[in-house]
Amino acid sequence: MTTHLNEDDLVLHYYGELDSEASTRAQQHLGICAECRRNHTRLQRVMAAVDAMPDPVLPDGYERIVWARLQPDLSSPSGWRAWLSFSPARLAWMAAILVLVSGAFFAGRMTKPQTAATQVVSADQVRQQILLAALSEHLDKSQTMLIDLVTADGDDVVDVSTERDRATDLVAANRLYRQSAAATGEAGVAELLDQLEELLVELAASPDKLSSEEINSVRQRIDSNGLLFKVRVLSSTVRERQKQQIRTRSAAL
Amino acid sequence: MPHTDAAAVALARDGDSEAFHSLVERHSRAVYRLAYRMTGTPQDAEDVVQETFLRAYKQLGRFESRANFGTWLHRIAVNCSIDLIRSRPHREAALDLPDLEQFGATTERTDTSGATPERLMLSTEVQERIGTAMSGLSSMERAAFMLRHFEGHSIEEISQSLGLKTNATKHSIFRAVRKMRVALEPFVADA
Repeated sequence: MTTHLNEDDLVLHYYGELDSEASTRAQQHLGICAECRRNHTRLQRVMAAVDAMPDPVLPDGYERIVWARLQPDLSSPSGWRAWLSFSPARLAWMAAILVLVSGAFFAGRMTKPQTAATQVVSADQVRQQILLAALSEHLDKSQTMLIDLVTADGDDVVDVSTERDRATDLVAANRLYRQSAAATGEAGVAELLDQLEELLVELAASPDKLSSEEINSVRQRIDSNGLLFKVRVLSSTVRERQKQQIRTRSAAL
Repeated sequence: MPHTDAAAVALARDGDSEAFHSLVERHSRAVYRLAYRMTGTPQDAEDVVQETFLRAYKQLGRFESRANFGTWLHRIAVNCSIDLIRSRPHREAALDLPDLEQFGATTERTDTSGATPERLMLSTEVQERIGTAMSGLSSMERAAFMLRHFEGHSIEEISQSLGLKTNATKHSIFRAVRKMRVALEPFVADA
């Protein structure tokens, strides 16, 4: 290869992606061309620096958090028996599916003939309404649990076993709502659910009793993030959206 | 807690959740590191970790007991990361090269005289630059580059995994490398 190696050739050569003939030519050219050799050396150094990319810092007890998130999903039986165990998340989706199906059925039976486009819009509205209802219920439960936690009594140790069990139940549903929010571009909702999930997961992994210091630290976290307040605001926003949807649907009928 | 992965896998296959717990304890950090490199955000990395262990749990029956569990899990994590990246609309904006070039040109270079390449690579400044350059990659550029650079997949394999044409994969890798060079060359050029 008598012509210079361009940047892309150098990258392919570095990764061994040139065919054997091209690779030999590149190697020969690097042997005689100081400029390309300098470029090649720079590329090698940059790549070596990339290898030193720092690892993300994970908190102590990260494994415990992963396990707390996983456990609710692992404990359910596999196969058809899984449908007999009703986690909050599964219930929410089952409700959504049931209402979608029955909504579509009744829409077809009870209303005037509609165009395909209107039917799609209607089914989408029903789906949103059900999801909003499920999310609203989830936020209410989370809010109540947070209030109980913030106001829990105890001198030296506080029994949080009830709150822990409730948090465990809420984790899987929260994750599902967070992912749905992220997927539909509701960044603010996803962010808040993410904050909530972090706390739920930690609670789910906590022992029966917390020392007064530990419970104070949890309370401080809830306070400093304004988590309870944000959940309240989101809850009322969701309710408002529900009402708006009902009004829109009524007007459309 | 079983002493080896093989023992833990054998127990977990029989429904011993504590045995699976021990596998999560041993491997979750490594899976997170890989997922973070592939996806670039802590939230996505968390989701990949979750999905990886769920898939592993469901597929334990298919795991060859002579194989290495860590390697098998690693492969699942790569696939989960790819699935997540492919499922997203490519709406996030990558930094354009002109932006990065400006960034490279305007950043004052630290006096590196006397520093060994090893010390340079470990310096906080270089690590920060790597982080900035990485955050300037689009999700496809990042995934293609990570699979090529860290996972050693060929361009052909990456094209198949990411559902891209070979030229598009090459282009993603070229752009990623160029961004790395713009960000890091000032630090390593004469080291």
